[in-house]
Amino acid sequence: MLSLKHSFRMAVGSISSSKLRSALTTLGIVIGVAAVIANVSLGASFNQYFTEEIGSVGNNFIIIQGKTSNLFHDSEMEVIKNTPGIVGVSPLSQEVAEVTYLSTARQITVQGVSEDYEQVGNIQMESGTFINDKDKYVAVIGHDVAYDKFDRKISDKNTIELSFTRPDGTVVTQKFKVKGIVDSPETTFVQSGIEPDDRIFIPIEAMNEIMDQDYYWGYFAAATSLESIDDITDELDKRLARDLGVSSRDLDNEDAKPYALTNQGEILEQVNQLSDALGSLLTSVALISLIVGSIGIMNIMLVTVTERTGEIGIMKSLGFKNHEVLLLFMVESIVVGLFGGVLGIMLGVVGAYAADTAMGLPYVFPVDMIFTGMFVSVIVGLLAGIYPANKAARMNPVDALRHE
Amino acid sequence: MAGCNVQSPELNNVIDIQGLKKSYFLGNLEVPILHGIDLCIKKGEFVAIMGPSGSGKSTLMNMIGCLDRPTGGKVMLMGRDTNAITDNELAELRGFEIGFVFQNFSLIPRLSAYENVLLPTYSNTKDGMDTSGRARDLLKLVGLDDRTGHKPAELSGGQRQRVAIARSLINDPSLILADEPTGNLDSKTSVEIMDIFSDLHKKGRTIVMITHDPEMEQYVDRVVHIRDGNIGNN
Repeated sequence: MLSLKHSFRMAVGSISSSKLRSALTTLGIVIGVAAVIANVSLGASFNQYFTEEIGSVGNNFIIIQGKTSNLFHDSEMEVIKNTPGIVGVSPLSQEVAEVTYLSTARQITVQGVSEDYEQVGNIQMESGTFINDKDKYVAVIGHDVAYDKFDRKISDKNTIELSFTRPDGTVVTQKFKVKGIVDSPETTFVQSGIEPDDRIFIPIEAMNEIMDQDYYWGYFAAATSLESIDDITDELDKRLARDLGVSSRDLDNEDAKPYALTNQGEILEQVNQLSDALGSLLTSVALISLIVGSIGIMNIMLVTVTERTGEIGIMKSLGFKNHEVLLLFMVESIVVGLFGGVLGIMLGVVGAYAADTAMGLPYVFPVDMIFTGMFVSVIVGLLAGIYPANKAARMNPVDALRHE
Repeated sequence: MAGCNVQSPELNNVIDIQGLKKSYFLGNLEVPILHGIDLCIKKGEFVAIMGPSGSGKSTLMNMIGCLDRPTGGKVMLMGRDTNAITDNELAELRGFEIGFVFQNFSLIPRLSAYENVLLPTYSNTKDGMDTSGRARDLLKLVGLDDRTGHKPAELSGGQRQRVAIARSLINDPSLILADEPTGNLDSKTSVEIMDIFSDLHKKGRTIVMITHDPEMEQYVDRVVHIRDGNIGNN
């Protein structure tokens, strides 16, 4: 019985006797496998990157946003706080104010929040401390505000002047003492109202007093975990609807509700959908390449079988059985595929690493993809080999010998 | 029908052909090549099958070599009826019992002389045989012990045919079947090759040689003439 060892050695001998041809044949597989590896690796890098990015603006956050201005008050705050699964909530209001520091003035978005925002918004302090609920005219400023916006750097204990414009046109100016500077999170992913770098946070009571209003723009809440965030959001939705007098029939009708809920899971999902769409595009390119590669191998194997018809006759006269001839050519086809696969994996890994480095993404080494790549290339070689090897195996020894 | 007259219990009859017919078909048209051949070859014989081209001697060789199946009659090889066995068993029979030597040497160009000799054992190995040692011994026997690593392209025609002879002996077959073994060789080399066959014959090997060269008669015990698909005078 023909051993795999012998068939492998004969296959390698045959392939290396026509190196250039074999190398060109594997090109389709190389590109296909490289594309799959690079695609999955890049996809994993993107996902990890986005997950980190979104995580840095909050812990399992739910954003509750009012569609009209005079909607949310302290009672809704209580409703949110009492919803099971909510571990923290801060009201939000937002105004653009003119900020003056040492005779330089800048337009900056000011965020009214409560002390819970530090935890909910995943705020890391670079210096000083975050707002607490006893504070009044104190401000916590973003990294860019402190270091880039003004001619002189602002540090904690400095005083800045904020001028707000009320809806009726009156301008109210108030001095705020800087209590702390928020550390710059490594984010470039922007969800409006969240990114702390170029913002100033002040207690929401102070903001509402200055603006002469008693409602909130919305809330920023945190759920216990990302896994249960959708259930918690649904429950929150129900309770808010009941509190605000929205009928339960309209619960699924986003247009009928005066508010909108977005959670971290949904944002992650949207990002994932985007990278999945990109991924399937690349995957289809890879698949086409693999099909082309497979046809290439099949073609070259057919040529090989025809070229070696005489040899097939010799082998059969020497006592090789049909299935042994089949095995010889199948192994050869698989070795060609595997060779292409190994080259493709190397190319894909190097390519993904280069792309990640160039784009500043975290590099994710796809260990399981290497096995998948090997497996795929073996399957491609196997499928490509079936027809030619079968053709060789079924040759009549007399006819094959006459070919010599 | 008459092949061997005596059915020897000791398998003295290496080949026993009875009423062998072989036809090829061109569409529905039957083209008869062999018309009922009887032939008996006993152990230790050196027989030449001679005939002009188109006489059917190659077809007869294919039948003896179990490379093709008869249309009628039967071929008994070492007492086994080849009609009664499967294709795989037939391949095995070829591997163990028949050593082929072809006109054009029929070596695998990518393999060394040593590997070519060893090739039949990749498929069929007799139990307990030291195949690699035997391959070296056989290459020594044909005078190529200093060429074992050479590829066929690096060997002369005569040397290639020696490798083929060594290969034919690797599984210690009952029959050596040589198809025009000197057809592609010059006369001096032909003599050298025929000397090897004579030597093997003297050691008791059964050899059947297909040839159209009358000069070969001097080496053999018996000549079987074939003409138009029939056996002539033995």
